[in-house]
Amino acid sequence: MNYMPGTASLIEDIDKKHLVLLRDGRTLIGILRSIDQFANLVLHQTVERIHVGKKFGDIPRGIFVVRGENVVLLGEVDLDKECDQILQRVSIEEILEEQRTEQQAKQESERLKLQAVKERGLSIPKADTLDDF
Amino acid sequence: MFHFQSFDDDCTLEEEEGLVEEEDEIDQFNDDTFGAGAIDDDWQEEHARLAELDELVRDEVHGEGDPSSVDLPLSGSDAQSSAPLPPSSSSRLYPSIDERGGGDLAESLTHLILGSDPAIAGVGAASSDRSLRPLMLSGQTPQPSGLAGQSSLLLNYQQQQRVLHRGPAPLSQINSHSIWENSMGFSPVSSGLLAQKEDKTLMSIIKEVGLPNRPPALSREEGRDLSERVPPPRSSSPVIGSPPVRAVPIGTPPKQPMSHVHNQQNNHPSAIHVRASMPMRYPPPFPDRLSPNNLRSIASSQLTHPPFPGVGPVLSQIQRAQLLNSQFQRGPAPPLFQGGVGGFRPFFGQSGPRLGPHGPPLGHAPIRHNTTHLHPQHRRMLNQRMQNRGMGDHVSGRGVGDRRNRDPYSNLMTQREKEWVARIQMMQLQSTDPYLDDYYYQNYYEKMEKRQERDRDTRKEHTTKLITPQVAKLEHTYRPVQFAGSLGKLTVSSVNNPRKMIDAVVTTRTDDEEKREKQVWNKRRQILYTVEKMYSLLLEVQDFEKKFLQTPEHQRDALLEQHKAHTVQLYNSLREKEWDDRVSDEQCLMIMSVRKGKRLISRLLPFLPQPQAAAVVMGIARNLPALAKKDKQDQVLCWLVKPVTAVIQCLSSTSLTDLLQELQGREGQLPLVLQNKFGVTLLYLILSEGERMQSSDPNCQLMDDNRWTELVFSVTRELLKVPSSALSSPLFTPPNLVSLFSRYVDRQRLELLQEKLQITALTR
Repeated sequence: MNYMPGTASLIEDIDKKHLVLLRDGRTLIGILRSIDQFANLVLHQTVERIHVGKKFGDIPRGIFVVRGENVVLLGEVDLDKECDQILQRVSIEEILEEQRTEQQAKQESERLKLQAVKERGLSIPKADTLDDF
Repeated sequence: MFHFQSFDDDCTLEEEEGLVEEEDEIDQFNDDTFGAGAIDDDWQEEHARLAELDELVRDEVHGEGDPSSVDLPLSGSDAQSSAPLPPSSSSRLYPSIDERGGGDLAESLTHLILGSDPAIAGVGAASSDRSLRPLMLSGQTPQPSGLAGQSSLLLNYQQQQRVLHRGPAPLSQINSHSIWENSMGFSPVSSGLLAQKEDKTLMSIIKEVGLPNRPPALSREEGRDLSERVPPPRSSSPVIGSPPVRAVPIGTPPKQPMSHVHNQQNNHPSAIHVRASMPMRYPPPFPDRLSPNNLRSIASSQLTHPPFPGVGPVLSQIQRAQLLNSQFQRGPAPPLFQGGVGGFRPFFGQSGPRLGPHGPPLGHAPIRHNTTHLHPQHRRMLNQRMQNRGMGDHVSGRGVGDRRNRDPYSNLMTQREKEWVARIQMMQLQSTDPYLDDYYYQNYYEKMEKRQERDRDTRKEHTTKLITPQVAKLEHTYRPVQFAGSLGKLTVSSVNNPRKMIDAVVTTRTDDEEKREKQVWNKRRQILYTVEKMYSLLLEVQDFEKKFLQTPEHQRDALLEQHKAHTVQLYNSLREKEWDDRVSDEQCLMIMSVRKGKRLISRLLPFLPQPQAAAVVMGIARNLPALAKKDKQDQVLCWLVKPVTAVIQCLSSTSLTDLLQELQGREGQLPLVLQNKFGVTLLYLILSEGERMQSSDPNCQLMDDNRWTELVFSVTRELLKVPSSALSSPLFTPPNLVSLFSRYVDRQRLELLQEKLQITALTR
């Protein structure tokens, strides 16, 4: 059914599995159940997927209602292609652990960089946590 | 609870002529709604009484009970009651309850209530105490036979208390109102004596008993009840100005119409009051929004059992209610509740549930014809694309459909909702001017069309001209709601009219006032305009030198010519009439009335040839008082000092004398001149110039006639006469004034003058 010929619309994506990337960096995978004019989404049987390197872990979340403005992008998941993945699936605990390590490593490197820069007399302004503006 | 009552008091204040009954209705209604009986001020007394009674009973059981002691608490709470309950009956009453113990309390009370129901009904509609009292009295003397009498007594007593504390309570209401009304009568008893559990059973009983005389009033009360819970309706008038009132905000998706539900419920008084169990205001429509469990069960039930009334699978209460309510929507449904406590019997009537989700029909659905106007080429392409897809997908479509069929959660978003979202998104595509809004889109498709034409020019039918229908531009002039003669402005605000913060009122002036003002402004504007024009000329002239130096040799002549022309123009602008060579006083004055003009003149003077410049200065001197007056605000006359000085220094003696004469001009001019700083300065300048002339050049013609002397005399006279306060200090005092004065005045006067001048000199 052609709802909006020549336009981009989410109506035809309803009841299909989607991958949604949010502004805070989270990746959600769920079945898109409902939308509205602001592209607020209702995701069913959602799973938050955390990727660290070649591994990923899924955290089941249930039903998500996402405010449209927080969505970076979303796309339909091809169920056939979903099966064959290069990435290795691990347990939740493991992936969270991996994520933590990754975060720590990143922070450490950041710190060292900042120190080195300070030693040289320069100063780099720290980026705000909210990078909205 | 309490504050609601006060709320009501306010309400009743509004309607002063409100019926007493209404008042009571409200009171009772409130009591019902918000608490078991709401015996706010009574309950403490009640409790005390009952507690004492309890003790008493226990005492009585053990030993002799004191009737009087029983009496006291009973009557204590009701001072007005002149007919206290006979101790015998009361003591008999309570022990009967007490003895049986907690478990049986409910039963006994229910019996009481049931038994007394006709009694209460019999007590009657009247709201009089008298009716109660004789009953009580009558109840007292003959031994109350059975529980009925006792219960009636008890209840009457309760009623009386209630009545006397709150005014007459029409007891007929008990029967004529909803369960809440009923419970009012019952629950004080229950709350005083029963636990929560028992309360509920009472309610169920009440439900079962049914409410044959149910309203009309129900809807009213429901409405009232709702209105007290729901926030007040938005105060935007649908008629005038504001956007149309929507019961739900604009952003909400469509719902199935709800009104039928309530109507149906109202029309069938035997309907079970859903409120008791759960508030179901917006039951989801069937079958679109049933939860998957329901759907499955219904589906299975439909398939297994033939649909006819009375038989149906046992669904949960919620599901039943859902079905029920949806049935209400589908069409007229006969009353379904046939007693049975809390039991719903679903009725599978004419409208069987529509099974199967709405799978999107594949392939041959038409493109929507709506407000979006696609380019015809675009539409054609889309058609083609769809057809192709339709062909190709037939095989795979089945699979998808299957999957969709198996997904129980599909179609949570109804067709209507999808259309609604689509419509909103389409609205954005409406355009009044497609070429303006989407130029590239239009152009692209036009090009494509042309290309296709070129490639296959056999198909003539496709060479359709582009007709882009345009949505008419609607002027949305919004007028806020206004009432004539209202005190102050309304505070109605909506999306279109945010709150008015400033009430700016336009004051219209009378005609001639306006004319005058206009004239003044016009004149001023004219002057400014002239000044501006002159300025541009002046700037040209001033820059001449610079330009002259920069231009190469062969162009210098031309430049010179230009310069001359400019200067000529400048003089001309000062003249009023073309034929008159003189500098027009009026014009000058006009120009000088503006601050800019004064500045202009001061800059202009050096560029004017001598005679003109002199004439200008003369004009200034002549009109100095007027100028001074006009300059009061700006105080910029002193800009003129420098150029005027320069002019004066070039003046001949006769002209100087003339100038001095001009300065003195009319009677009383000199004092005014003296008051003004510039005037004084000018005077001094003239005098000093004269002195210089005299002292430097012995043959100067200054003394040829007596004019100069006379003038100086008058000046000195004036200077002496004028008080110091009226003498303004000049910008500077030329040094040779003393010598000047020494020529003309005697020693005494000189000294005085010196003093004055010195004073003025000091106060430079």
